[in-house]
Amino acid sequence: MAIKFKALSYIYNKDMPYAHKALDHIDLEITEGVITAIIGETGSGKSTLVEHLNALLLPSEGSLEILDYELAADKKVRFLKPLRKDVGLVFQFSEYQLFEETILKDVTFGPLNFGYSPEEATQRAKDALALLNIPEELYEKSPLEISGGQKRRVAIAGIIACDPKIIVLDEPTAGLDPKGAKQLIELFIDMNRTLHKTVILVTHDNEMVYNYADETVLLHQGKVVYHGPTLKLFNDKKMTEEYRLLEPQIVTFRNLLIEKGFKLTDEARTLDKLAEEIRKQLK
Amino acid sequence: MNNLVFGKYIPIDSFMHRLDPRAKLIGLFVMIFAIFLPKSWWAFLAIGVLVLLALISAKIGIRMIVQSFKPMIMMMIFLLVINALTVKTGDILFTYGTFALYSDALYNTLFVIVRLLLMISLTTLLTATTKPLDLTLAIEWLLKPLEIVKFPTYEVALMVSIALRFIPTIIEETIRIMNAQKSRGVDFENGNLSSKISSILSLIVPLFSVAFERAYELADAMEARGYVPGAERTRYHILRFHLRDFFYIFICIAALAFSIFTRIYL
Amino acid sequence: MSLIEVKNVYYAYNENSVAIDDVSFSLEEGTYTTVIGHNGSGKSTLAKMIAGLLEIQKGSITINGLAVNAENIARIRRDLGIVFQNPDNQFIGSTVRDDIAFGLENKLVAVENTERIIEEYAAKVGLSDHLDYEPQNLSGGQKQRVAIAGIMAMKPKIIIFDEATSMLDPKGKKEIKQLMYQLAEEEITVISITHDIEEVMQSDNCIVLNKGKLFMQDKPEKVFADAEKLRKINLDIPFVMQVKEVFRNKKIKLKANDLKGMAEELWRLNSKR
Repeated sequence: MAIKFKALSYIYNKDMPYAHKALDHIDLEITEGVITAIIGETGSGKSTLVEHLNALLLPSEGSLEILDYELAADKKVRFLKPLRKDVGLVFQFSEYQLFEETILKDVTFGPLNFGYSPEEATQRAKDALALLNIPEELYEKSPLEISGGQKRRVAIAGIIACDPKIIVLDEPTAGLDPKGAKQLIELFIDMNRTLHKTVILVTHDNEMVYNYADETVLLHQGKVVYHGPTLKLFNDKKMTEEYRLLEPQIVTFRNLLIEKGFKLTDEARTLDKLAEEIRKQLK
Repeated sequence: MNNLVFGKYIPIDSFMHRLDPRAKLIGLFVMIFAIFLPKSWWAFLAIGVLVLLALISAKIGIRMIVQSFKPMIMMMIFLLVINALTVKTGDILFTYGTFALYSDALYNTLFVIVRLLLMISLTTLLTATTKPLDLTLAIEWLLKPLEIVKFPTYEVALMVSIALRFIPTIIEETIRIMNAQKSRGVDFENGNLSSKISSILSLIVPLFSVAFERAYELADAMEARGYVPGAERTRYHILRFHLRDFFYIFICIAALAFSIFTRIYL
Repeated sequence: MSLIEVKNVYYAYNENSVAIDDVSFSLEEGTYTTVIGHNGSGKSTLAKMIAGLLEIQKGSITINGLAVNAENIARIRRDLGIVFQNPDNQFIGSTVRDDIAFGLENKLVAVENTERIIEEYAAKVGLSDHLDYEPQNLSGGQKQRVAIAGIMAMKPKIIIFDEATSMLDPKGKKEIKQLMYQLAEEEITVISITHDIEEVMQSDNCIVLNKGKLFMQDKPEKVFADAEKLRKINLDIPFVMQVKEVFRNKKIKLKANDLKGMAEELWRLNSKR
């Protein structure tokens, strides 16, 4: 298990009249090496949950195991830096964290903080920038001079350069155009497949979830109401209706075809596979 | 950061909430004089009773005042130590080796504490019962005479009210950027001087660049909605004096008169 | 004459970044136009030029027969509103009430009418119960609704939406889109810059920009008819078109233009067999 929540609750403004329980007895085990999506309406507790993964918030009740670390209520954390190195958090609109004079310096910032030597940090930064398709001639430019999509990729390179074991992405594609979004998400899929990184994807975009996430966690009012294979969730009409999940268009189409009488297997996840199964039946 | 009590508006309805912000502001200025003039405990007692009544009528718990007083405690102790070491008048209360504590040292400290306590109560009373926007309108009204020397009171007031409106947004932003940098290994609490500087830069630079972006976009939004600096505008918010406002100012002036009286005759 | 006429306009932020290059089109009163294009294609620049927030460096734009320039801009702004992308950066007042009032104050609306107008338009966007809310207690979608109310209260003929839904969650997006469709029905001329294909399909007219140039202007069905052409300029195509394309590649031709119709068509093919 990469991450294990044990009866974890988090209460904002504890002991105040306007206390608010954002997470309510979360028991959850996130599988190592897979892509897990965390979905749920605004206010369902997604961000609160994510902030625990980097000890930006500590549990009010219960505990949380991440790799070899344990966070628990009222327990002092002694391993902040190693934890934050091993769990890379890419925040929403991450381009706003850029601050150094040059792009290369900014990407080196994280590795240096986590104790890499300057040479090693620079090498890691260069590798990460190359991975994110930032051309070398931009390395010495100011991060404020490049386009929005490039800024986002530089910010992400700043996290990747720290060599995290777990990568957490909060709405990584928000504000990017369709092509930029697709390229970025496919990069993370690739890191999962080839480098076996555990990827956690927090998003409202159910199309993306359906296309890429192996497993999905559905949060509702601070509770986990579903954790399992992504396909099973979206193919379950009862669940999608009860939690008013925006249905991916391919699921809508699939359901229409099944209603008509076509037989479709769970393999028919992409449009191409679905069309292929239909074609075979038409023959 | 949401736990700051001092200066926070409490959105309820009360006698104090309904008062005209200008009356409350004038009242505050009058009362500041009333607090700083007297040397007699009688005046403090009278003002204290008034302040207490006002707090009750504003439905502000004493707990809130105590909370806003907490940050001052260290200062008070410091003041007491300074006074104990320097003031050498009055009766000797006790001695310890070569050190002697004089009664005036205690007296002086107590005076300052009472004054500060009253001051804080009064300002909390103002900010807790007055919306920031109303407060800006009141300040604008007080600055009106400066328009004779071409001081742009209206623009300044608009600027202040927009700044106030953005405070919560910027606090939120600060927390977000701090979290992002913490995840990159920044330690905002510990570290040597050079790492301190770089952690502060990692917060300040993004904060400024976002603030500038916001400012440009806000300017566009204002312009697009027909705002022209210096042009005539109608005013949706209009302040009106009521009888209760004159009553309130009268009480404040009476308190001032009493404290002047005590200073001269007691 | 059309309500909005854009003729050969050009805008460059500096020599190396030409944002809009020789773009011309015209828009009729009461139509709903979407503007699409990849990031950096010049969409927002164009919107700001129409709203008179950026100076037109070459060419001309006329609105209702009036040229957009410094002289006419105050007059033109009475007929034109713009909703921006970031909900926080266009909330000017300290409460919903004050924010709707802001434009009315600029328009010199008599104070005795202000209250009634504020209430009328807050009701229109469904925020009657939120008049005294401060921005930090509103969701992104609610803030955008306040912005729309503030603009509608000034009774403009044209409203420009500059990616107004892109920072919102699905619920907020849906709310704002519904409001936009409603505005279009009320004969307001809507220009919406968007990445949302579903919204494009709802519009009367679609303008495609690529690298600052006008790539296409047509009805949405026509624009999306050539998928390859759009893919080349990094644009998405609607799911329905994707379905058609995939089946066409498998030698199955579909005529219907919606998912339900296509499912039926496929089933008929199956029964015929």
